[in-house]
Amino acid sequence: MSPKPTNLLQGTLDLLVLKALGSGDLHGLGISRRIEQITQGTFLVKPGSLFPALHRLEEAGWLSSCWGESENNRRAKFYRLTRAGKSQLAVEAEQWARVVLAMTNALRAT
Amino acid sequence: MRISSRISSILRNLFRKQQVEGQLDDEVRAFVDMVTEERMAAGMSASEARRSAQVEFGGIEQVKQAVRDRRAGAGLELFWQDVQFSLRQLGRAPGFTIAALAALALGIGANTAIFSVVNAVLLKPLTYPDADRMVEFLAPSTVIANNLACIPEFHFFQSQTSVFKEVAAYDNAGPGYNLAGDRPEQLHGIHVTEAYFRVYGAPIQLGRTFTQQEDAPHGGKVAVLSYGLWQRKFAGDKAIVGKSLSLGNEPYTIVGVVGKDFVSDPQADIWLPFQFAPVSDDMNHFFQVAGLLKPGVTVAQANAQLKLAAAEYHRDYPNTDPRQEFLVGTLQDSIVGNVRQSLLVLLGAVSLVLLIACANVANLLLVRATGRKREFAIRSALGAGRARIVRQLLTESVLLSLAGGFLGLGLGFVGVRALLAVSPAGLPRIGEDGSAIGIDWRVLSFTLSVSLLTGILFGIFPALSASRSDLNSALKESSNRSGTGFRQGKTRSLLVISEVSLALVLLIGAALLIRTFMALHGVGPGFDFHNVLTMEMSLNGDRYQKTAGVSQLSKDGRDRLNAIPGVELAAAAYWLPIDVEDAMPFQVIRRPVKKDCCGSKWMSVSPGYLRLFRIPILRGRDFTENDKAGAPGVALINEALAKQLWPNEDPVGQQVMCGQGIGPELDGEPVRQIVGIVADSHNSGLGQPADPMMMVPIAQVPDGYAAAYSNIQPLFWLVRTHGDPHQAIAAVTDQLRVASGGFPVAHIRTMDEVMGRSTARESFNMMLLTIFGAVALVLAAIGIYGLMAYSVEQRTQEMGIRIALGADRSALRKLVMWQGMRLALLGVAVGLAASFGLTRLIASFLFGVQPWDPIVFTTVPIILSAVALVAVLLPAVRASNVDPMQALRAE
Repeated sequence: MSPKPTNLLQGTLDLLVLKALGSGDLHGLGISRRIEQITQGTFLVKPGSLFPALHRLEEAGWLSSCWGESENNRRAKFYRLTRAGKSQLAVEAEQWARVVLAMTNALRAT
Repeated sequence: MRISSRISSILRNLFRKQQVEGQLDDEVRAFVDMVTEERMAAGMSASEARRSAQVEFGGIEQVKQAVRDRRAGAGLELFWQDVQFSLRQLGRAPGFTIAALAALALGIGANTAIFSVVNAVLLKPLTYPDADRMVEFLAPSTVIANNLACIPEFHFFQSQTSVFKEVAAYDNAGPGYNLAGDRPEQLHGIHVTEAYFRVYGAPIQLGRTFTQQEDAPHGGKVAVLSYGLWQRKFAGDKAIVGKSLSLGNEPYTIVGVVGKDFVSDPQADIWLPFQFAPVSDDMNHFFQVAGLLKPGVTVAQANAQLKLAAAEYHRDYPNTDPRQEFLVGTLQDSIVGNVRQSLLVLLGAVSLVLLIACANVANLLLVRATGRKREFAIRSALGAGRARIVRQLLTESVLLSLAGGFLGLGLGFVGVRALLAVSPAGLPRIGEDGSAIGIDWRVLSFTLSVSLLTGILFGIFPALSASRSDLNSALKESSNRSGTGFRQGKTRSLLVISEVSLALVLLIGAALLIRTFMALHGVGPGFDFHNVLTMEMSLNGDRYQKTAGVSQLSKDGRDRLNAIPGVELAAAAYWLPIDVEDAMPFQVIRRPVKKDCCGSKWMSVSPGYLRLFRIPILRGRDFTENDKAGAPGVALINEALAKQLWPNEDPVGQQVMCGQGIGPELDGEPVRQIVGIVADSHNSGLGQPADPMMMVPIAQVPDGYAAAYSNIQPLFWLVRTHGDPHQAIAAVTDQLRVASGGFPVAHIRTMDEVMGRSTARESFNMMLLTIFGAVALVLAAIGIYGLMAYSVEQRTQEMGIRIALGADRSALRKLVMWQGMRLALLGVAVGLAASFGLTRLIASFLFGVQPWDPIVFTTVPIILSAVALVAVLLPAVRASNVDPMQALRAE
């Protein structure tokens, strides 16, 4: 675990949320924990950023939501990737890969 | 897909708000509960777990607000919320709202009024189809720059086909035509050449305009009617073309009617052809010339070509002044003339009034913001960001200014009408009594943008300073009297200083114009204009193409008028003494003949004219009935001409020969002996010195001259009465109708009215600037009073303590007064400095007073300071009367 969680890059949060939901439906806390897990604790998403992002992605049509039961039998709002969301995930992942490649090359250049 | 999902989100968010909010609430609560459970499972106590979960979550309300802000349609919803909230807030403080609205309505209303005049006069394009290519002939270097042309000049312009597509001549004012009928009526008619309707792009309703044959000598008596006349007198008769119309008892054939929307300048009911001779050496300048440039030719190019061709003209007419230039300018410029500058100055002045109003409202808002500190603190505690609060406050101020603008629009519209009714400004293009001034899209968008701008201008500083509050201290404060911080006090002081300085600038401008107006009215015009009635009569018909006819009418008319009880004396002339526009070259007999030797203003009058206007005869004698046709030629000169030409000898008895080289109109002009010298009168307007002038008897002018006058302008009848001149109108018009064989008179005015009109522009400017200055003074006084009253109220406690500790009450009063006066005096100092620079802008409107007139520059600051003193006196007295016990207990 890195000692200090990194600030999220602009635009990274959306990609992480889409990715976190790629493996199945999750509620808000679940998404937060899942992101923490898949980034090995590098990114800690605070509710103050998470909730606005979730609502925005849902309004954009990339997520859908429904109310369900949590593992502790608590009523919670679950989010699911829509078809548009899946293709958006693919698009953004590809873009991200390009950025990473470009940045890596740039930093390696002498 | 994205768009449709977005729209459905917006609709859901706006219309099923409760459900959306409930779900957000549930979702957030579930999140906190789940974290709490996790913590409890990890071994925390229930209360500890919940607390740490809430800490991890952050401010619940802030998160919810962040979600709301992100929602689709949030902007719209927030805006609506802000509007509703603002309206509630404004409604809760009616005193503040009314005060702010009044200041804004006044400021914006005044701006709307002036802008609607500027719009009608300067901005609205001319209604002619090729307005941008229309030019007007200018005569910059002739003796009298009245831009009139003569026939050879007209032909010269016509021949410049490389730059002009069309060239047309038209009457400057027109003689008017007497329409026969049960009630004879003087029609406004002008002569034009055949190309006139093409230059002006006049639409044709019926028939046609003049042919070239009709516009040539002996082309017949034909007329074109205006749409208005056609409707009014002929009930829109579709078969009017070819019918006959009686003008001055002569039949004219109607050949056409122009379209409804055609507005000619000068305005006309009827048009007749000039019928100029194709070749002429008539050097009489009596009409105006307009032209249409060829497409692509600029005014500068046309002027360059005219300059080249001028040499040719002077070769063809060797008697002309070789320095005479030929120039054209755009028609719009020549119509607007020198009004542009005075309107722009008024617009500048009125925008200062608006700035003062803005400063006042900004001050009011600052006071209010201080009172609302706790409200803002609570709102930011509930999740409102600084931008959110600024936005809310700006919504409030813009709403205020829009409402003020709406009121101002009405106020301005009514105001400008009232103003023009009281003071006809003598402005071009505004129609009859300002009927052409209206509200169009330009005025609307001007008022709208001024309102928005002022709303932002006076709202932004208070909003920023209010939102800067420190949340903790504001919430802890027990009272709402806290936080009159240094910064805010400084802003408010600056606002008051600028208000005072702007007001001073306006007041100084107003005072200078008042002095100008007084100086103009203090000018003795050189004649007595009280109890004199003036009216015009159009002399149509063959009888008045000869001197004998005009002179007989003058004699008969005067005899009949003099017989009316209450009439002291009657006279006839072609010019009123305040405005003599005709001029004539002449030679002095027995002096060497020189080209361009002498010239002066020239007018023909009937006997009695000088006595009627009580113009003294300094030497020699007045005209009598014996100075008639066939008798030795006589002339009178004024003092200015005597001094100019005969500085060292007696002009009486000298002989002159007038109008040589002018052409056929002056054929038969006799040698005239100067029989007298009359006192100078202001014959070019009150603001101008008296020009040299010569007068001759109406009965002794050549026939050609009499005919020319009958064809270009009406004759003035003048009547001096013993009592109110209006009493005599009925009898005078009756007698003149009989004397003239049925002609009506028009434009019946007292000479007092004529004099009023001659200073209409000055009185308009003075009145407006005085109103602006007064409004500025009141606003600035309210500004100072408001600031001092507020600061005394804020410091009641401090005053109480001071008094309790033994402070002298009068010292306290002086302290407060000095604090207020310091601001006022600073404002006066800044305003004085600005005025020194700015009054130069109105220097050309001033008469009899310097732009830095010491009287104005000392009295106005004193008046303003006195008003400021009164404004600070009240708060100061209140401060010194503070009851220490009450003041201390209040907290």
